[in-house]
Amino acid sequence: MKKSYLIKRIIYAFFIFLIVMTLNFFIPRIGVVDPAERYYPPQGNMTEIEYEIIKQFTREQYGFDVSNFQQYLNYVSGLFQGDLGTSFRSGNPKVSQLIGERLPWTLVLSVTNLLISLFIGLIIGTIAAWKRGRWQDTTLLNLSTISMALPAFFIALILSFYFGFELEWFPAYTNPNMVAQFDWSWEAIRVVMYNAALPIVSMSIGGIIGYGQGTRNAVIAVTNEDFILTARAKGLSRNQVIFKHTLRNAMLPIVTSLGMSISGLIGGAVIIEQIFNWNGMGTLFLEANNTNDYPLMMGIMLFMSAFAIVANLVTELFYSLLDPRVTVGERR
Amino acid sequence: MSDLMLKLRNLKVVFPAGEGVIRAVEGIDLDIAKGECVALVGESGCGKSVTSLAIMKLLNSPPALVRVDELKLDDEELKDYSDGKMQELRGQQLSMIFQDAMTALNPVMTIGRQIDEIYIRHNNLSRKEARKLTVKALDLVGVPEAKSRANSFPHQLSGGMRQRVLIAMAFACMPKLIIADEPTTALDVTIQAQVLNVLSDMQKKHNVSLLLITHDLSVVANMADTIYVMYAGKIVEKAIKRDLFLKPRHPYTEGLLGSVPRLSDEHHHFIQIPDAVPHPMFKPTGCYFHPRCSYCTDKCKESMPPLAKDVGGREYRCWHPLNLGGGAKDGK
Amino acid sequence: MKAKAMRFLKLLGNRLLGILRAIAGFIMKLWRHPKGRVGLIVVTLLVVCAIFAPLIAPYDPYDVTQRAAKGLSPSWSHLLGTTITTGQDIFSMLIYGTRVSLIVGLVTGISIAFLGAIMGVIAGYVGGAADTAIMRTVDVMLVIPTLPLTIVLTNLFGKSYLMIIFIFVLFGWTGLARVIRSLVLVLKNANYVRAAELAGASRGHIMFRHILPGVSHLLIMNTALTCAGVMIAEAGLSFLGLGDPTAISWGKMLAEAQGGGALLFGHWWWIIAPGIGIFLAVFSFMRIGLVMEEILNPRMKQSSSIYKIFKNLNNTYMEEVFASMDENAKLGLTLKAGEES
Ligand SMILES: Nc1ncnc2c1ncn2[C@@H]1O[C@H](COP(=O)(O)OP(=O)(O)OP(=O)(O)O)[C@@H](O)[C@H]1O
Ligand SMILES: [Mg+2]
Repeated sequence: MKKSYLIKRIIYAFFIFLIVMTLNFFIPRIGVVDPAERYYPPQGNMTEIEYEIIKQFTREQYGFDVSNFQQYLNYVSGLFQGDLGTSFRSGNPKVSQLIGERLPWTLVLSVTNLLISLFIGLIIGTIAAWKRGRWQDTTLLNLSTISMALPAFFIALILSFYFGFELEWFPAYTNPNMVAQFDWSWEAIRVVMYNAALPIVSMSIGGIIGYGQGTRNAVIAVTNEDFILTARAKGLSRNQVIFKHTLRNAMLPIVTSLGMSISGLIGGAVIIEQIFNWNGMGTLFLEANNTNDYPLMMGIMLFMSAFAIVANLVTELFYSLLDPRVTVGERR
Repeated sequence: MSDLMLKLRNLKVVFPAGEGVIRAVEGIDLDIAKGECVALVGESGCGKSVTSLAIMKLLNSPPALVRVDELKLDDEELKDYSDGKMQELRGQQLSMIFQDAMTALNPVMTIGRQIDEIYIRHNNLSRKEARKLTVKALDLVGVPEAKSRANSFPHQLSGGMRQRVLIAMAFACMPKLIIADEPTTALDVTIQAQVLNVLSDMQKKHNVSLLLITHDLSVVANMADTIYVMYAGKIVEKAIKRDLFLKPRHPYTEGLLGSVPRLSDEHHHFIQIPDAVPHPMFKPTGCYFHPRCSYCTDKCKESMPPLAKDVGGREYRCWHPLNLGGGAKDGK
Repeated sequence: MKAKAMRFLKLLGNRLLGILRAIAGFIMKLWRHPKGRVGLIVVTLLVVCAIFAPLIAPYDPYDVTQRAAKGLSPSWSHLLGTTITTGQDIFSMLIYGTRVSLIVGLVTGISIAFLGAIMGVIAGYVGGAADTAIMRTVDVMLVIPTLPLTIVLTNLFGKSYLMIIFIFVLFGWTGLARVIRSLVLVLKNANYVRAAELAGASRGHIMFRHILPGVSHLLIMNTALTCAGVMIAEAGLSFLGLGDPTAISWGKMLAEAQGGGALLFGHWWWIIAPGIGIFLAVFSFMRIGLVMEEILNPRMKQSSSIYKIFKNLNNTYMEEVFASMDENAKLGLTLKAGEES
């Protein structure tokens, strides 16, 4: 990998971050002159004067008592000191602190899901490509058209209904004490696995089939390439052709979709978390929405965007390690 | 012991397709003597590549169905060899040069590694020893600074250099027979000449048999000893180079020659063959060439002419051959 | 003045006729494909349901006053039972739910096709600063999490399907624009575009007369697939209660089922019904999209058919084919077995 390429990509990622950051500053200010009105909308039983006082208080608390430009500067300098803002919640916790509490729980779901989907998907995808046109392949194809048409949250409801309520094998709602009582003991880990089972399964059904079909298509696309014929014409054995030539090239599109999955790790489980009452980033965001907690919402959004930017950057750099052509031209 | 390097008898290849059967190759015979360069000439789609892949036994089944009476490489009958046994031969005794070096080389592997593989596979060498031979092989085909070039990726080389790499690969183990499938079609005219020179030199120096496939008779003019002309899956004419150029027997050959600019041409115009090759699923009755032939008679429409044998190993498949000594059709 | 208006009308009429003819041809193509036919039939069924919902639905799905009919199991009078909380007829709700899904899906899909095509063609054909600006925008859009942003915007501007469509379009065009752009970069150098340029055609003319038709097949396919994706996303948003609070949609039905105790009381039909609605709608549009892809791009064709042919090969027939190639067989009348099958 060329150094200049690396630096260029990092600078570009930073540039994207600056834009997203600026948008994030302006979104809650759309349509109102005074952001305090947004943060604290007028309530029915309030007099004009009372509301004025509250607004003044809000302005001071959130630093709206300076010019818009100064607010922006404060916001930016806060961000670069790691300050994502302050929530409305009682005790006024820092947004970053709330994220810190909830993020691991979302990652438990989404990372496990990703690993399962990727691992099993790669295996069944390779098998389907190998058995091209036979029942293994057709089954995967049919499953993939079906699973693409079924939203994960519908699968979650069905699983919750059957395995949660009917059979009572797994909890349909997360144990509310799970988070508070977590102490890294084996028992606590077992409780987490028990509670996470249904959410993870409902997410990974689609994931497995998606990665499976993606792998299958990638492998078959490479199998049709001329250089595979060259490799065979050189007398390489079947395994050498598959492991040295086919899979390495088939990895490329898979890495791209893996990158997309990774950038969605934090925000991808909102509905699933809500269905199973899982205390992660998704439910945190929905709670913030219900209480009009703008600083919290915007803080989470910026965090998600930053995560996605970093994930994209890492994917891109990793991709360029796998594919030497990338540093020359554009990948896309 | 015969002096034939390749003896191919009655090769047939068909592809079952949705609506019928594609008859790609319809029973062709091919002989290549030791150290000889034989050219197989024909328009696009007439089955040249399929023939070459069938000789390498690289056609996948499905989709291809292959029948052959004899496939002898240096008196060794390959007809019933398993794929495992063929792997030993490919690259070692029998190798191939593909048309488009850009797609025929693995884009994510250095060209050195791609050549190393051959030595590692067939000569049981360590990677280091293999690289020494690789550099030597690259040197032979005129790649400058072979040692450092070996570490570059295919996209970093020019088209001519890439094609030389393919040639180096084919000659790596000094096989008995090399099949070059349109080795220069993807190149500029000037580069074409250079690459052909390299190929010709290598072939002569190492006394390797070469099957040169092309649709361009001017390429053949300098290199080939014997020429086979193929049309719609059948051999329509076989002759040594001089005979073929001076006195083509088949109207199709005459047409092909007409599209080659010749200095000696008094008329200074190109004769063109009208229309296009018939679709391989719907070939006409009788002589396949009759719809495009200007000498066509009723007989041609009804039945396929046999392959007539002439003095000096000439063969042609035509009811009304041209340029027969004192023949009526001469000079038409 | 009048003559000019007439001419204009005539031109417009011709254009419309041309478009209609293209659509008819496209539908015929789908119909001839067995998988496409399934998709086409289901879509037609859904459209009929959406348009004639009041005629088809046996009850008023908005009627929440049926105290006596709460939580009924499926029966002939209530095909899919009634809701536990309000006694609404689930079958009628299912029929009405088609409307939201189709409207959101189609409006978004078509708008995305337009926006994506325009942006892609501009980026690819005009190039330069326009290209840079559009591609940078795409990169920014890609990292903003869509669902949270939708939640924020509905919080700011109120919950409605218009808002949802707006956001879907705002974020949905990027993928299409990229694809179209790379296609246009190829087409740009095609001979007929070059020729038009040399003949002095204006940029706009070239873009819309020569380049857009070149990518139109891709647009139709993409629109079908986008519709499918949008309908799934809409169901999710409705499930979270971000759609129009008064409308009936499948996503919202699922949320009500979950909140209303369908799971607890074992009323599985209340969950399955909207799920099947979503599935049918998404599946049929996806089918159409995939079949389009197959028709346009035969290389993508699944190899299963060829394998089937291979397995069921009639051996004697193949023997005949091979035998017909033999030198002797060809001398007489040529065997023409190949064409008759
Ligand atoms: N995998 C395949 N499946 C079906 N048909 C095939 C396949 N490979 C080749 N064919 C058919 O066989 C015929 C001969 O193809 P072939 O590639 O040998 O032509 P060619 O003479 O090499 O032409 P070109 O000069 O374009 O390389 C073609 O008409 C093609 O339709
Ligand atoms: Mg070929």
